[in-house]
Amino acid sequence: MVSFTGMLAIDARDVVKTFRSGWPRRRETPALRGVSLAVPRGAIFGLLGPNGAGKTTFLSILATLLVPDGGSVRVLGHDVVREAGALRRRLNMASGRPSFLWSLRVGEILAFYGRLYGLAGAPLGRRVDELIELCELGPHRRVPYSELSTGLKQRVALAKSLVNDPELLFLDEPTLGLDPDVSVRVRRHIAELRRDRAMTIVLTTHYMREAEELCDEVAFIKEGRILARGTCAELKRRIRLGDVIALRLDPPAVGWLAEAPGVLRCAAADGWTVCTVDEAEKRLPELLRALHVDGVVVRNVQVREPELEEVFVELAR
Amino acid sequence: MSWRAELLAVEAVLVRNALMASRNVFFFFELLFWPIVGVLSIGLMTRFLRLTPEQASFVLVGTIALSVVNVCQLEVAYAVLLDVWSKSMKHQFMAPIGIRHLTLGSWLVGMVRGTAIFALLALLGWWAFGFDVLRPGWLALAAFLLGCFLNAWVVGVGVCALITLFGNRAEAFAWASVNLVLVLAGIYYPVSVLPEPVAAVARAIPLTYFLDAYRAHYGFASEFAAPVATGLALSALYAALAHWAFLAAVGRARRTGLLLKMSE
Repeated sequence: MVSFTGMLAIDARDVVKTFRSGWPRRRETPALRGVSLAVPRGAIFGLLGPNGAGKTTFLSILATLLVPDGGSVRVLGHDVVREAGALRRRLNMASGRPSFLWSLRVGEILAFYGRLYGLAGAPLGRRVDELIELCELGPHRRVPYSELSTGLKQRVALAKSLVNDPELLFLDEPTLGLDPDVSVRVRRHIAELRRDRAMTIVLTTHYMREAEELCDEVAFIKEGRILARGTCAELKRRIRLGDVIALRLDPPAVGWLAEAPGVLRCAAADGWTVCTVDEAEKRLPELLRALHVDGVVVRNVQVREPELEEVFVELAR
Repeated sequence: MSWRAELLAVEAVLVRNALMASRNVFFFFELLFWPIVGVLSIGLMTRFLRLTPEQASFVLVGTIALSVVNVCQLEVAYAVLLDVWSKSMKHQFMAPIGIRHLTLGSWLVGMVRGTAIFALLALLGWWAFGFDVLRPGWLALAAFLLGCFLNAWVVGVGVCALITLFGNRAEAFAWASVNLVLVLAGIYYPVSVLPEPVAAVARAIPLTYFLDAYRAHYGFASEFAAPVATGLALSALYAALAHWAFLAAVGRARRTGLLLKMSE
């Protein structure tokens, strides 16, 4: 019989973490207040939430860098506290704000971590070569880390995170501060990792488009609690923000539109009148009919679901 | 972990520290400038004070020990300091690496640097002041150097524990602690001249015994019975305690989040 928990990459239950600081008067900052999350193997899972929500704290617990105060966490079948040593060989992490020893060169950084994960000699050299090619770091192989641009540093971090070919990869804001073209390449690479290596990937991001593009499922964290979890489409439906009908009208301003039945709100943007309605399928014919009767010419119409970003704003409110 | 994995992890730290040391602008000062200045100034002082060759040797042994222990313990402290400075602690502690690999790899580099400094200062002492480090014989010399390196290990690992416990605020210990240990261990004087409560502390420091054993070959009667054996026993005890303290400090840093604060 196949156990369900055996198919999970992450099985976290009621995880609690409070940071304590200050002396003599102690300050307590609750970071996680009972987070439960199950992530299946082979998935790309997104953790979304505002700054200070607890995303990085949760990720750090999963990566064995932080010990939870309460609850249980099993990652790849290992308890993150009692079996941390065995677990560390099987996971890795890259951060959007990476930092490595500044005077080591790119190849030396990768070789250092390669040795820590048990590589040596020719296999180590081959692995470093592969990663340098994979992350397009060839021309920078002998450049000290301190002399790299932000984008290159992040590529080094990504290369380092793949040095042990991990089964589970944590990406903390992987495209933070990157140029759009580099971000596109990084996202493409993340998708390839899952496709080609069946890697489970958990990422935190502020970029909703990134989450929509990459993640099978996302969870919204706020103030140390998971507020919602599901596929992007499910969340949009569940939050019931409504559908969006964008109209290009002549004349462009129609005062009564915002008051029309089923219209939740209306706004003008770049020559479009953007109406959020309760149900596009039902309201679009009604609106078109009313506009025709009013003598307004409809030059273009677009119907779309709300952006994940709008769901995020609603949840973070 | 298999033996191969153990050795590779030590090698990783060793190579890393060696590369960093070779690119460190302070390396020149640590390895050459301060030790040479120390031996020259102390050596000249022995001439000014018209000390006998034996007395001058007594003082120069302390001066050389200071440089050797200092450089080696700093290298051990670099096991943590390098990552604190570059804010890369979390990468290191997320990898399958134990503190034994960190400290052992750093210590090996420290011993190489310490031996290089010792050789340099021995040559300088012989050329400038006629101080012969080989007069006690190779075995006594080896025991003395081993004592210096073991003390450096203990102090260095202790500094690592303090930094992991208190963060950047504890950095000063990396430079201050070894000087305190050497003052107490009788760097330029026998511990018998120290007031009793301080002398009791001195008797608890392993380096006291290694200095005593080595200096005995320059005509100064040993103050202790079996000083090398006592020094080794104390070193083993403190090495175990320092290792445990570092281990406990890393565990605490994982609980408090200091490990993350010291990263990125």
